[in-house]
Amino acid sequence: MMLEYVWLTPLIPLLCFVIIGFFGNKMPEGGGYVAIFGALVAFVVSLVASYEYVTGDLFAISLPFVQEMNWLTIGTYEINFGVYIDSLSCVMMLFASFISLMIFVYSVGYMGHEEKKRRRYYAEVSLFLTGMMGLVISSNYLEMFVFWEIMGLCSYLLIGFWSFKHGEGDAASQNAASAAKKAFIVTRLGDVCFMAGLFILLNEFHSLDYAIVFAQANIAAVDPTALTVATLLIFAGAVGKSAQFPLHDWLPDAMAGPTTVSALIHAATMVKGGVYLVARSFPIFVQNPDVMILVAFIGGFTAIFAASMALNNMNIKRVLAYSTLSQLGYMFLALGAGGYLMAIGMQTGNNDLIALGALGYVAGVFHMINHAFFKALLFLGSGSVIHSAGTEDMRKMGGLGKKMKITSITMLIGSLSIAGFPLLSGFWSKDLVLETALAPAQHGLGAEWTFTALFIMGIVTAFMTAFYMFRMWFMTFRGKEGEATRHAHGESPKTMTVPLIILAVFAVGSGLGILFGLSNAITESLSCTLGYLHIHTHTGMTIAEDIFTNVWTYVSIVLTLLGICLGWLMYCKKSVDPGRFNKNGESRFYRLLTKRYYFPQIYNAISWKLGYGVAKGVDYMDKEVIDGTVNGLSNAVVGTGDSLSAVQTGNLNNYAAWVYTGVIVLVAIVVAVFIVNGGI
Amino acid sequence: MIQIELFLLLSAILFVVGLYGVLTTNRGIVMLMSIEIMLNAGNLNLIAFAAYWGSALGQVFVIFSLAIAAAEVAVGIALLLNVYKVKKTTKIDDMTILRW
Repeated sequence: MMLEYVWLTPLIPLLCFVIIGFFGNKMPEGGGYVAIFGALVAFVVSLVASYEYVTGDLFAISLPFVQEMNWLTIGTYEINFGVYIDSLSCVMMLFASFISLMIFVYSVGYMGHEEKKRRRYYAEVSLFLTGMMGLVISSNYLEMFVFWEIMGLCSYLLIGFWSFKHGEGDAASQNAASAAKKAFIVTRLGDVCFMAGLFILLNEFHSLDYAIVFAQANIAAVDPTALTVATLLIFAGAVGKSAQFPLHDWLPDAMAGPTTVSALIHAATMVKGGVYLVARSFPIFVQNPDVMILVAFIGGFTAIFAASMALNNMNIKRVLAYSTLSQLGYMFLALGAGGYLMAIGMQTGNNDLIALGALGYVAGVFHMINHAFFKALLFLGSGSVIHSAGTEDMRKMGGLGKKMKITSITMLIGSLSIAGFPLLSGFWSKDLVLETALAPAQHGLGAEWTFTALFIMGIVTAFMTAFYMFRMWFMTFRGKEGEATRHAHGESPKTMTVPLIILAVFAVGSGLGILFGLSNAITESLSCTLGYLHIHTHTGMTIAEDIFTNVWTYVSIVLTLLGICLGWLMYCKKSVDPGRFNKNGESRFYRLLTKRYYFPQIYNAISWKLGYGVAKGVDYMDKEVIDGTVNGLSNAVVGTGDSLSAVQTGNLNNYAAWVYTGVIVLVAIVVAVFIVNGGI
Repeated sequence: MIQIELFLLLSAILFVVGLYGVLTTNRGIVMLMSIEIMLNAGNLNLIAFAAYWGSALGQVFVIFSLAIAAAEVAVGIALLLNVYKVKKTTKIDDMTILRW
């Protein structure tokens, strides 16, 4: 019953946005309770709808639930508006609305002192939730793009929430306004590519409906080169939204916004949009293995690249931002590696490869779910710390664990989870990702070197993740009391700690979903569109068996533990001085990291050279060519008028003379005609 | 009976005299007078042709023409009088202020 009403999930938050926008100031908490209510309704609707879908007939025969109405018809091009529910949409809806709900509840405590600005905050986060919910249930690319842009707008508005405040960022992001601008412009670059990809798809398929674009017969009928270009462009959109290399640099700057906004962007919405886009577009991405291997390498490179920048950052939120980048890289790595295997499997008709590819897909989506929980937890925890300590600089914290018991323990759980401590949620998905990268080499399926490279990137990142997360945790909660700790308020209010506890439970437990059929459910969303491949699904038990019988799993566990120990030795026990490795912050690599590999400068240089150059060209075009034409025309008219006005002497004799001259000329013509014709 | 060509010749002479007056003078009153001469040259033509064809139509036209000429002169002189009140002259060379 609820499945038909699943469109309520974006609509209710949208209504909340309107209500809070108009009447927020007259409500308690600036409309915060309305926003919470909206998120709650969205969550309940998604929960019931997902339950109905998963237990329903459609799921059993691997079909999506589709409801559409005609939106536009232009010639032979049909654009619809509707919902498309498969298991992927279900899991996305569930975690996005649930985590948003937690964040909204938490906001009541965290944003409580914002007074009048709370109205704006709650209205915008509600709209943000609308964007995400609409994105995951939309039935075609154009509809998706609309919600995609709504999220882009909301991220801009929310990152710049404290537009007047000078953040604690570095030179590239001196204040929230420019950070918001940067986020908007950098993601815009991806969005333009995404839009171009959609144009190609529309041109090839004459429709943007998933049902049509993903149909095997339609894919077979279109030009493969155009499809490859379209997928590459769509992937560029995902790179922008999910902040992958080389469009990654906006995400650390986005920390200028309130911490709850960071949690929303990193865990529930925004950056998950890019991963969702690739997962959703899987049927067209797997048509070309080269596209998929590009996805995998961009992901793998971003994972290790971003993790390195988290190693020495002193800002608690920025460490988490880099870890998001890195974990998103993991997701792309899994999707890309899985897609590559599946693409090869499709070309050679090898069912084992197809099954492995599906496993990679499951790994990517599964890691996205788990990451949502522990990253929301970590961000909200860091928000709690910032709320109490009043600073984001970890050097000033230290020893907060005694003052903030709940926060420190929940953060510890989140850190263990993201680091991949055995049996916590991050462990399952991370090792599934590594397993995908490892599979070709272990089963002798070809492309060993490529995949070995991916695996090395993944496992090094795993070690780095463990290290920097525990560096963060020990610096914040253990060790000597910092100056900010002495002034800290102590534990945060209940509205903040309760969401932390709930999220901690999920950060521990969400990974166990894989044992209880989550992998089958996620694979079903592939079967909806790639059903002709007869994808063999891995049950939870075989996945667990694979993970625990693989020797590399234990290697990654050991590396994780080593990373944790190293963090403990350096920042808690202080028996290893980190200064020894970086020459007390003087080494070239250390400085390269603090400068973020000079990416802000590169962005600036590009925008100055390229953007400003183009702008100057356009300016020249505007001023000289377009304005020149207009001005030239008007000058010509004025000049002609001026010269002709000399005729108008004002002297009556002259006028009369002209009149008679005219008469004479006329008479002369008449006479001439008379003579030539010999009579009238 | 006098030949019609002589009437036409007289009329042409009168018209050219009037035209010469209009084009050369800079005095408003003289210009009005010259215009009257040209007008009457035209009237003379009408009369001549009316007599030639033995038709009253041309004479009727002349009566109309004279009446309208009287009105025209009245308007013209009124204009000149008003200009004279303002500018203390009727020289048309001075009446160029509305030019551009």
